[in-house]
Amino acid sequence: MSEDLVYLDYAASTPVDERVSGLMTEIMTRDFANPSSTHAAGRTATARIEVATEQLASLLNTAPSKLVWTSGATESDNLAIMGAARFRDNKGRHLISMRTEHKAVTDAFDALVRQGFDVTWVEPAANGLLALQTLEAAIREDTQLVSIMHVNNETGAIQDIASIGQMCRERDILFHVDAAQSVGKLPIDLDRLPVDMMSMTAHKVYGPKGIGALYIDEKPGCHVMPLLFGGGQQRRLRPGTMPAPLIAAFGLAAEIAAGRMADDHAHLVRLRNRLWNGIRSISGVSQNGDLDSTFPGILNVSIEGIEGESLLLALEPICVATGSACNSQSQEPSYVLRALGRSDALAQSAIRFSFGRPSSDQDIDFAIQKYTEAVARLRRIAPGEAA
Amino acid sequence: MSSDPYSPLVRSLFSTTPHAGDLPGATCVSADAQGVKVQLAASAAGDIITALRWKAWGCPHFLAATEAFCAEYEGGTAAGLLEFSAGDLMNELAVPVTKTGRILVLEDAVRSLGQAIRDGSA
Repeated sequence: MSEDLVYLDYAASTPVDERVSGLMTEIMTRDFANPSSTHAAGRTATARIEVATEQLASLLNTAPSKLVWTSGATESDNLAIMGAARFRDNKGRHLISMRTEHKAVTDAFDALVRQGFDVTWVEPAANGLLALQTLEAAIREDTQLVSIMHVNNETGAIQDIASIGQMCRERDILFHVDAAQSVGKLPIDLDRLPVDMMSMTAHKVYGPKGIGALYIDEKPGCHVMPLLFGGGQQRRLRPGTMPAPLIAAFGLAAEIAAGRMADDHAHLVRLRNRLWNGIRSISGVSQNGDLDSTFPGILNVSIEGIEGESLLLALEPICVATGSACNSQSQEPSYVLRALGRSDALAQSAIRFSFGRPSSDQDIDFAIQKYTEAVARLRRIAPGEAA
Repeated sequence: MSSDPYSPLVRSLFSTTPHAGDLPGATCVSADAQGVKVQLAASAAGDIITALRWKAWGCPHFLAATEAFCAEYEGGTAAGLLEFSAGDLMNELAVPVTKTGRILVLEDAVRSLGQAIRDGSA
């Protein structure tokens, strides 16, 4: 990345930790054999995978046998949602999720609707959080699956997955959690949490792109139909040659994250507060979400009277997001912020700042300066009624 | 990495806007449609436009197009404004087709400005 750029988009992706990339290179060049091969070289590659599975399982306090490796959180979400809905098809066809979920979740549910399933989209409060009574009111006799993300990728809103999961468990409803933004960043104890399936990805936690995992509990009735066919790997749930270098990389990234989670969190809180305190006095600025219930690695702000696309360009060389990175090619107002009740204008003006391990006070101070200057300039050149 | 949505010319016109501002006492028109807002002001001596200024709210392409218009037509004639077509600006700035409606708002505003100057000097 050019040294001229100030990267504040760590919710979209993180750099690979040098220890992780070193391990990948070592396995790609030395222990490159196919893990499905039974010869000694294949067994060495398999051993690498076993170590990584233990590392990720340790981070999540669960059994390695409950983890399935995938290509990333999008595949994990699809496998969990499509796979579980189809597996429990004979028991009922009602599913519940939120419109503030990632597209990997909402599009999977939309696909199931086209296959005859019935989805109820529950609405969050203005701060992005789901009220338990809202969920309870949506549950029906034939509800089979609830999918609610842990940390929202746009606002950072942290859902109470323990209480939501408990409500589902009491009613024999499977509960899936998209934890792409929280694994390795917030403590997650799957031995205690009432979560049946959890999606995760490596590249949000200083691992490489192209590798993710899905946790599937081993309790009765909790199972998924595979999306792919073609081999016997991973108990036929996700066949295909297992990418040992990527899996090992995710495992090491998970181990590193476990060892520094508290320090990382404190770092993010400090940076987030520094930025918010630096821009909160600008007229018309507001946070999407609130500081008490959002992950500190994300600060999403809207501002009155400012056009979002021009704001984004005026902020260069700062790299930020107008919403979900997956949706950033579109200048349409964020569907997540619209679901929180923001007007089109406020949603369209939203900027998501997200911070990571390499982020510094200097980065934040530069962002404060650029945001303040950009807003002032765009207001100065706007017609009176628009400013 | 996806290609840059903004041409070097758009970036330049967006970042340096010498014609942004007001012209007190000048002929002024405004428009608000298609998600953009623009205010154009012109001083004229007879049919000659001696100064053009703008204020606008919109995407970078729209702001750049407005600045480009002012830079090009300052010193021109009111008659020229009446014949202004956004097509050339669209091509010059590589404005995405999806933003055509916004640039047409500018075209309407420019022609209204030309007419207002003529009406004022009649």
